[in-house]
Amino acid sequence: MKNTGVLVQKEFREHSRNFKLYWIPIVFIILGIVEPVTNHYLPQIMESVGNLPEGSDFMWPQFQGTDIFVSLMGQYQLIGILIIILAFMGSISGERKSGTATLLYVRPMSFVSYFFSKWIVINAIVLGSLWAGFLAASYYIRILFGPVAFGDILKFVGTYSLWIVFAVTVVLTLSASLSTGAAAGLSILILFVFQVLDSVIGAFWTVSPWKLSIYATYPLQGDSVPTGYWMSLTLTVVLIVLLFILGAYMSKRNASKTTV
Amino acid sequence: MTELLRVSQLSKIYGDNKVVDSMTFELVEKTSTALIGPNGAGKTTALSMMAGLVTPTEGTVLLKEEENKDSRASIGFLPQYPKFFPWLTAIEFTEMAARLSGVDSRIVQSEAQKTLEFVGLGDAMKKRIGTFSGGMKQRLGLAQAVVHKPKLLLLDEPVSALDPVGRRQVMNLLKELQQQTTILYSTHILNDAEEMTDQLLFLRKGELVENGSLSSIKEKYANPRILIEFESVEEAARFLSISTWTLASKNNFVSIDPSHQQIGMTEVLAALHADSFRIRKVEWQTANLEEIFMKVVMSS
Repeated sequence: MKNTGVLVQKEFREHSRNFKLYWIPIVFIILGIVEPVTNHYLPQIMESVGNLPEGSDFMWPQFQGTDIFVSLMGQYQLIGILIIILAFMGSISGERKSGTATLLYVRPMSFVSYFFSKWIVINAIVLGSLWAGFLAASYYIRILFGPVAFGDILKFVGTYSLWIVFAVTVVLTLSASLSTGAAAGLSILILFVFQVLDSVIGAFWTVSPWKLSIYATYPLQGDSVPTGYWMSLTLTVVLIVLLFILGAYMSKRNASKTTV
Repeated sequence: MTELLRVSQLSKIYGDNKVVDSMTFELVEKTSTALIGPNGAGKTTALSMMAGLVTPTEGTVLLKEEENKDSRASIGFLPQYPKFFPWLTAIEFTEMAARLSGVDSRIVQSEAQKTLEFVGLGDAMKKRIGTFSGGMKQRLGLAQAVVHKPKLLLLDEPVSALDPVGRRQVMNLLKELQQQTTILYSTHILNDAEEMTDQLLFLRKGELVENGSLSSIKEKYANPRILIEFESVEEAARFLSISTWTLASKNNFVSIDPSHQQIGMTEVLAALHADSFRIRKVEWQTANLEEIFMKVVMSS
């Protein structure tokens, strides 16, 4: 693992110079600000630009601050995860394809360090962006909708963060195993399609990583800890570890596919 | 004459395709060896296996005295078209390469600078690699391959992508490196091979068909001829009618194979002089490396 530091430095330089270190947090923060603001000003927005017929009167729902957190999470579930897939699907496969990996792979470098350096840096960027987004949101929610208990926000964001780490690990492991295109396709299948399947037929089980985003909202809804919550957390951690091992192994196995 | 690298029975098979077929050879320390063969002979695959990039189907690559160490630390590798992270500067990339190869962190910076100056990138070391020309990238490729002072330098077509000026400069750098390290390089530019080679390896369809010193291979394939150009076809015919040697002729040219007959230039000149043949030219011809290459590669 002695080369991990060098590789982590390389990853940080890469993402700072291709601006992922900046634009990803900006997108997450913008989403975090837009969600409470549009929800709060929805009646006024609709009145001025909504083309409503004269005299129409709607009962606008009375949102709580907690509702906004949940609907913001819905945005991150779609746009956030799409960004993770698109920005990082080529992290390893792209280096192989372009041949830039060759001059790394011929050095005495452990593939665990190699995979770890990417995993830790991508997670740092994505989690940093996510937390910054929720932080921005909680500021506006506090102003526009009133305070939400800090402990509940923390529990919610904590659980949701584990799902995001799972998503990052899936994308990175697929990038290590397959070509960029196949990695993107399979990531979409695993992170979006399975999510839908789990919500459609998932009533038959309670333990699943795809349920984490739903379970994450329990403190905000004032519910008690849902059945299967702790088991789902444990299963997700186990899956992350297994995917990590698979990813490091596949990076090594596919090293010879790098363009020479 | 210490042996540095021993390659035995090295093979790579993709499906039915034997890209490298039971390659066996040794390299002696501080020598340069040229790996010669036509396109598709398996040169790149062979070098990739020695660099530890491709796992051999069969056979072993053994670097001496490194049996318990990761041999990649003692190898420098330059691919034919080295690809760099365009967003790094030359010095950042070279430092990273040095660190990954285990250069002591206290001297990484000075070693990287020295190496970049050596390859002639001293002024460009703080520029992003994305702005580099092909020649500059090739030199940076050489820098990253030697910055950790490897015992074995593997170079895949180090000069074939360069223009004549760049080629000359890189060849001169390689000649300097030749004093300090063992070099194995593939090429199909035979003038280069002739210029800095102790040992030649001829590869044909993945098979090592010839292995020896430049002089011994030249001797084996040189096929010397004495070629006489007469002023006219009649003069050539007159020479043929008088001479007792085994000859071959075409128009006003006559060629003599001196190897099986005890003939040298002196005897030929004496015979020509004795009967006052009118000649334009008498020439001692030996095959150059290019002809040897054609001969070795074409024979099956």
